[in-house]
Amino acid sequence: MKWIYRRLIIVFLTIYAAITITFFVVRAMPGDPIDALAQELVWKYHMSYEQARQLAMSIAPFLPKGDILHQYIRYMINFFRGNLGVSISYSTGTPVISILAAAIPWTVLVVATALIISFTVGILIGMVMAYKHGSKLDSGLAVLFSITRSIPEYIAAIILLWVFAFELGWFPTRGRYDYWALEALKHGDVFAFVWDVMWHATLPILSWIVVHVGGWALGMRGSTVSVLGEDFVHYAVARGLPSRRIVVTYVGKNAILPLFTSFMLALGFMFGGSVFIEYIFSYQGIGWVLYQAIIERDWFLMMGAFDIIVVAVVIGALLADLLYGFLDPRVRRPA
Amino acid sequence: MSEPIISIRGLRVVYHALRGVVKAVDNVSLDVMKGELIGVVGESGSGKTTLAMAILRLLPPKVARIVGGHILFDGLDLATAREEELRKVRWSRISYVPQAALNALNPTLKIIDHFMETAKSHGIRDRKWVVERASELLETLRLEPERVLNSYPHELSGGMKQRVLIALSMLLNPEVIILDEPTTALDVLTQYFILNLLRAIKEKYNMTMMFITHDIAVIAGIGDRVAVFYAGKVMEIGDVYTIFKRPAHPYTRALIKSIPTLTGNIEEMKPIPGTPPDLINPPPGCRFHPRCPYAMEKCKRVEPPMVELKPGHLAACWLLA
Repeated sequence: MKWIYRRLIIVFLTIYAAITITFFVVRAMPGDPIDALAQELVWKYHMSYEQARQLAMSIAPFLPKGDILHQYIRYMINFFRGNLGVSISYSTGTPVISILAAAIPWTVLVVATALIISFTVGILIGMVMAYKHGSKLDSGLAVLFSITRSIPEYIAAIILLWVFAFELGWFPTRGRYDYWALEALKHGDVFAFVWDVMWHATLPILSWIVVHVGGWALGMRGSTVSVLGEDFVHYAVARGLPSRRIVVTYVGKNAILPLFTSFMLALGFMFGGSVFIEYIFSYQGIGWVLYQAIIERDWFLMMGAFDIIVVAVVIGALLADLLYGFLDPRVRRPA
Repeated sequence: MSEPIISIRGLRVVYHALRGVVKAVDNVSLDVMKGELIGVVGESGSGKTTLAMAILRLLPPKVARIVGGHILFDGLDLATAREEELRKVRWSRISYVPQAALNALNPTLKIIDHFMETAKSHGIRDRKWVVERASELLETLRLEPERVLNSYPHELSGGMKQRVLIALSMLLNPEVIILDEPTTALDVLTQYFILNLLRAIKEKYNMTMMFITHDIAVIAGIGDRVAVFYAGKVMEIGDVYTIFKRPAHPYTRALIKSIPTLTGNIEEMKPIPGTPPDLINPPPGCRFHPRCPYAMEKCKRVEPPMVELKPGHLAACWLLA
């Protein structure tokens, strides 16, 4: 049990270090929120820069005060109290935490669904490939997956958006749900709302799946091929075990072990990677918020979004460590 | 001796390698008698394990093929039997202790689960019976049933795992157990201990055992009969006493001379010169002739027939024909 405390301290230190780095990197970016807003006013209303900056200051009087070290200390204290500051660009003065809280569930919906589907499908295809190792099906899929896994998510997203939303019109081009669906929800029609949400989420989810399923399939294929060569598989056949049992408990379970950690880490990384996909589909999750924050130089919102992504990755790794023991008795620690 | 339980007749097994066809078992005929412990001895690559795998039909399907002969067991030809018939024979009637004992158990399952699933696969769903039977077997093998059954494979030592596999092979009270080098990975003391146990178990449960080893000395202590393999062929078959005291085949004689003894003079030990032949292009005639000190012209051209020197003692050599 001592191990768990050590692990938690490392988690805390990792998060602390990441937040610190984020703070200073964000501050090192050229420009500040007022400057960004002033630039926008200059561009929109053709004011002089001085005028625009005055106006910007009056619109958003939230520029942090004091030198940067004081600001940092104040930020850290507030952070661990659960106060991430207020947004500068968003409807002025909204707490960052409530903006993030509103965005996160949508990202989780897309990312978790995409991860579970691509993992499950990838694992199954990978096992079939391993069992048919060297066949035309296997080599064909291997080539196909090597190509799809090297496509960046945003390219896949743009292609899907173009084909299925613009050309075919099967799916919406943007947003999380339609206005009418929200009205329906207010009138108690939950099903219509959920349906509309799934309809909007389909293309973002599909963008992830197209790119990720190949990686899981190829990983599982390699892992399965090596497990198939293990003595315990042959010995299980000799004992007359039904092939179903061998495929699931002997081959499947042992082949999945090396992929499990990547699975847990993927959730966090997909959180971070959702900037592009959510931007392309104007899907207002955490990635979209982060994008907006960067454009507006909204320091607190930017830091908040980065920090959430960091926390997601670190928690994913922690869960992977904790849960791995349930799957593999060899690394189980005595309680 | 009683009647044969497994009759192998003219068995041929080949492997398809990149370089060509490997004739791993070539025209082998052998009877395994009911209730005996027969040793199958030979150098690495002489086809011993292939023979065992052929009996259970566990040869790697894409690479290996039985191209001829019969393996008769209780009216069934295992060489041609369908998979469904084989599944009924495997383990419940002929079981097997694998060579690579250290990695033969599923690392994610407890030992008890290995016993359970094996029983369940053969229609036994009575948990209590399995636990009792497994405990009895493990106790006979001098393991603590409680502790071992609730362990994962990685929590056991090599010798313990080996004994678990022996217990597992006896779970369904099979008529025949094939043991493929069951003691090779173990130190001499554990080896001695397990060999004695095997002998005792064989007597206690009246089982038939086929014991595959490259160590001819191991067979001397526990076997009833010995079959000597060389380059995919049987060179000599006989009871243990005859094979050790009056070996007829030059290969057997050379093999016995190469065993180190405690009291013997080291100078009397003689290695066999040369290496075993390439089984893709085996030498014509007798396969041992390139290494045989008595090789004649005939040996290089014509394969010697198996001749019965006296009842139960057979050898394939032109010196004896």
